[in-house]
Amino acid sequence: MPNLREIRRRIKSVKNTRQITKAMELVAASKMKKAQQSALSGQPYAALLAETLSHIATRIEEVEHPFFEEREVKTRGIIMVTTNRGLCGPLNSNLFREVMKSDDAMKFVSVGRKGKQFLSRSSRELLADFEIDDSVPYVKVKQVTEFMIEKYLSGEVDTVEIMYPRFVNVLTQAPTVAKLLPIRGLDEMITELRGKDAEPYESSADDRNFVFEPDPVSILNSLLPLFVDRQAYQAILSARASEHSARMVAMKTAKDNATKLLDSLTLQFNKARQAAITQEILEIAAATSQD
Amino acid sequence: MNLEIVTPEARVYEDTVDGVVMPTTSGEIDILPGHIPIVTEIQAGEIVVEQSGQKQSLAISKGFAQCVGDKISILAENAIHIDEIDESAVEEAQKRAEEALATMDKMSDEEIAMLETQISYARAQLILKQKTKR
Repeated sequence: MPNLREIRRRIKSVKNTRQITKAMELVAASKMKKAQQSALSGQPYAALLAETLSHIATRIEEVEHPFFEEREVKTRGIIMVTTNRGLCGPLNSNLFREVMKSDDAMKFVSVGRKGKQFLSRSSRELLADFEIDDSVPYVKVKQVTEFMIEKYLSGEVDTVEIMYPRFVNVLTQAPTVAKLLPIRGLDEMITELRGKDAEPYESSADDRNFVFEPDPVSILNSLLPLFVDRQAYQAILSARASEHSARMVAMKTAKDNATKLLDSLTLQFNKARQAAITQEILEIAAATSQD
Repeated sequence: MNLEIVTPEARVYEDTVDGVVMPTTSGEIDILPGHIPIVTEIQAGEIVVEQSGQKQSLAISKGFAQCVGDKISILAENAIHIDEIDESAVEEAQKRAEEALATMDKMSDEEIAMLETQISYARAQLILKQKTKR
């Protein structure tokens, strides 16, 4: 039978832990709401941007832009979006598993400290590391994509992909690899961005001649980088929403575990206390009867 | 015709309209029902929406516009209805951006581009506000 003081000490420490995890759960819940909101509010914009781009892309055959050009993939360029802090369940390790599964030659850019640690520990080629805080400033995201676009144009990597935990709902976050460059499958992307209830999108529905002002090429030149930036931005917002919801769920489990542990410890404590009292009474009774 | 104005933060405007005047990089254009499909680049300035004889204005920053069928979509980084423009706040913002721009050599190209966009948007809002006062 463990002594009373021991149990009391454990109860205290478990109570403390529960307090902390409870607080962290609440913090994560409020952050999650905000992150979810901003991830959702950007969707119509991204959809419209993709739509505009598809109008141009499907109508000018002679456009040769390196962003559309499909070349033999020797090295994949991957932007890996992870969290800066831990305690968010299997969110990061799910992504890492995706990386381990593949044997392709890959070069990485990391966003988030956990990804950087993983990549350097598993000695993979890390081109650069970017820090983006919770507010996800657009300018910072732009720096990341601009860096990757440069590598793509110089031929150092043959694709640009972004790997992130996609926010499905509070309980599920799917590790996802989305292709940023070369640009493919705009129609499906638009359908997805518009949401479940929208009709499938087809860019060739309107086949009249389009007017482009000032001219298709210059619109394309300003539209394409914006499009890639926006997509990356959207992905990172989604990753942030995932992070907070994963953390909230992890903290809730931890809190529940602490509560359960506390119950059994309290029971143990009461038993031990009862045993001690009984013991004492027995001793007193034995002492008095001897006299 | 259906007009929607979308920014990264929200869908700012969505309604049926009779005509739209918008500032493109190659001059102002007026889109009326039956316009041929067009995709164009717009710059910071004023958008005039005509709705059953009534005109209302919005300030807009740079972006893109497309008109397909009877649907006009405008993509912009920022857009605001004229009644919601808070002049002093805009002036403040413009001043801050200009001050930040003064230390240009310390910044990356992206930051400079962003500040310039902010300034031109602020200017567009102020011009629009002053116009309606007269």
